[in-house]
Amino acid sequence: MKLTTARISQLLFLALFLLLFLQTEYRGHDQINAAVNSFFRADPLVLVSYLLAAKSWNWLLLPAVLMTLATLLLGRFFCGWICPLGTLLDLLTPKQRSTRPVPWLAGNLKYWLLLPLLSASLFNLNLAGLLDPIAILLRGLTFFFYPLLGLTAREGWVRLYGLIGEQRDSLAPAYGLLKNYLLPFRETLYPLAFVSALLLVLIILLERLETRAWCRHLCPLGTLLGWLGRFSPFKRIPPGLCADCGQCRELCPTTFDQGSLNREECILCMECEQGCPNQRISFRPSWPLQLSEPVLPQRRLLLGGLAGGLLLAVPTRFRSPEKESGLLRPPGVRDEGDFLKKCVRCGECMKVCLKNALYPAAWQAGLDGIYTPLVIPRLGYCEYNCTLCGQVCPTGAIPNLAVEEKKRQVIGKAVFDKNHCLPFARKTDCIVCEEHCPIPDKAIRSREVRVLGLDGVMKTVKEPYVVEEICNGCGICENVCPVETRAGIKVHVVRNRAPITEEASGQLGY
Amino acid sequence: MDRRTFIKSAGAATVLAPVLVQELLAATEMSLVAVAEGTDYPAITRKAINAVGGMKRYVKAGDLVVVKPNMGWDRSPEFAANSHPLVVRAVVEECLAAGARKVKVFDHTCNDPRRCYVKSGIEKALKGLKGVECKQIEPERFRMTALKGQFLKEWELYDEALAANVFINLPVAKHHGLSRLTLGLKNIMGVMGGNRGFTHRNLAVALADVNSHLRSHLTIIDATRILTAHGPQGGNLADVKVLNKVIASADIVAADAYATTLFGLKPADIAVTVAAHKRGLGQMNLDRIKVVKV
Repeated sequence: MKLTTARISQLLFLALFLLLFLQTEYRGHDQINAAVNSFFRADPLVLVSYLLAAKSWNWLLLPAVLMTLATLLLGRFFCGWICPLGTLLDLLTPKQRSTRPVPWLAGNLKYWLLLPLLSASLFNLNLAGLLDPIAILLRGLTFFFYPLLGLTAREGWVRLYGLIGEQRDSLAPAYGLLKNYLLPFRETLYPLAFVSALLLVLIILLERLETRAWCRHLCPLGTLLGWLGRFSPFKRIPPGLCADCGQCRELCPTTFDQGSLNREECILCMECEQGCPNQRISFRPSWPLQLSEPVLPQRRLLLGGLAGGLLLAVPTRFRSPEKESGLLRPPGVRDEGDFLKKCVRCGECMKVCLKNALYPAAWQAGLDGIYTPLVIPRLGYCEYNCTLCGQVCPTGAIPNLAVEEKKRQVIGKAVFDKNHCLPFARKTDCIVCEEHCPIPDKAIRSREVRVLGLDGVMKTVKEPYVVEEICNGCGICENVCPVETRAGIKVHVVRNRAPITEEASGQLGY
Repeated sequence: MDRRTFIKSAGAATVLAPVLVQELLAATEMSLVAVAEGTDYPAITRKAINAVGGMKRYVKAGDLVVVKPNMGWDRSPEFAANSHPLVVRAVVEECLAAGARKVKVFDHTCNDPRRCYVKSGIEKALKGLKGVECKQIEPERFRMTALKGQFLKEWELYDEALAANVFINLPVAKHHGLSRLTLGLKNIMGVMGGNRGFTHRNLAVALADVNSHLRSHLTIIDATRILTAHGPQGGNLADVKVLNKVIASADIVAADAYATTLFGLKPADIAVTVAAHKRGLGQMNLDRIKVVKV
């Protein structure tokens, strides 16, 4: 791999991506200044699908507009200069690389992926994030590879304690450094970890069949950028292979299998310019604009894509009421439909979640909700003073709220299950839930009640109850409930998620 | 007196005698509790420690000391949910001055440990002190320990607390929904692992069990400000009362008993204190506690 300018840029952006990935975690500060969401906010596929689905403007996505404009001007440079997945593929390309297109991938397949995705967005089903290359990479890392790294390191560290006990402390500073800067704080196991890793691995395996096969034939972001690139005034001169040489065919990672450069697939890596034995190649703007290809894909594709999106969007709307009632969303999400339209499913909120309360929905939220974040209080609760998920959400699907405002956001409402809750079921004291309830005036309170104990003796027990008006559904009660079978208190979804009002807290008559 | 009554009273006397002797012995030896007052928290902390014999009495040169503050909640110091960072630092400095080889400060937190360590201000207050370690709990270090207690036969305790030569209990005085108050005896929960909520079923006895196994050599109660309601984590300044006091005693029960009075309660109101006293862990009768105000 020669270090051309494009290569250096690629490596820098990959390093930036990984650095931001590590930054997407609580590291002692309430605010995360730069997170990996920057990549999504500059992602034109996220932008277009968001605009189509939400049908509203969002200033968070301004960088993506700039990226779109830059692509219109320069062409599909993102793939050859920035995309971290592309860089990863380049790094993993086998020595004996093949640039011949895989027949079953070639052709219009990429449009059959992109167009239904966009059309479905128009019909309120935004699944673009499922196939967005950066999201695929991030999910593979977040749900599989990063926890795996953490688990391996932790296991080793724990085993070491088993072997040498307290003496391990002499190595603690080194491990502390790793833990503070590289390893995840908690090694969380996620649902869909296998699927997330598999998708990433499959894309990497495609590289064995053809260089950048994913980018060229499948990637919806690449396809979109390629289409935008058609309008770029920058052209390669000469456009085709020279009769006396033909080296470009070997040098080019993405195109040239037909004798001339396919501008849509050119990722501007400049390999041909650098490698040309005769220095004949240059990329220069030419004016007026001459479009070699039609502006829109064939009509059949366009209509087919539109219909495909419609077919995808309508049936997935069905969601059984039982499913709906179990969907606890991150704090600040008030409307399920609106949330689904905006969520990129990138996995950042789940990566950053302080107590690992958020997990990707596998089937719970229906097909249209796959990979969207769900709060699972029994596994982790929403930390009262934490606002990280809103900070890293690239589209504001989880709103970025100030901490005082976030505390009042309602995720759900806690309800006691008297068949399990100890003071009711076993007539013993407990109220661990009240102890942990973070609401300053306590959304869980208790009262002393004379009850007949299970042993037949009258006794006084503290019976807890929920003050619904000020419960924000953070789930710490369900999380810490010491009943091991099934929590004696459970957070349920409520339709009205209006924030707790100032008046509601404190002055209640019970 | 007929035969039956005689046997009854003789039997009662045999059963009660050891208790009476114990009470008698305890009466001759008053428990000492020092209470220092002032707005300079490090200074009053030192005063209180000096009034119970000075740190050298508890920490010998080369000792491994654990200072166990309350830093279980994601609340800043003014909310009185965690021990005050200035008090913690002063105690740690006294340990170092007494010749401690190492001072370890930790708590098994209820909220996210990272946030608790930061928000409590304790991690920052200890930064830069040589020989001081303020590490988060590592779950693998909990060791199933035989307590042979009345409620807890065994429980997971933190090995660093068990391995220490000196264990200094440094709670903040605050309200608690179940035990009414949480003081030194309850603060011991911070070295417990496992499903801690389980102990709530019989909290007073459970805490007596753990405290009998892991004795606090010195108890320093931070009452610079106390949380009077909605404990143990509070969150409303209206529930906080500033008292500017630090209490120290080698007798954990006596320290707790005195601190109880700051809330307008009697030691007998707190089941945890009563259970510990019954277990012989210390003195709860205020008339047998010598209070030194400095």
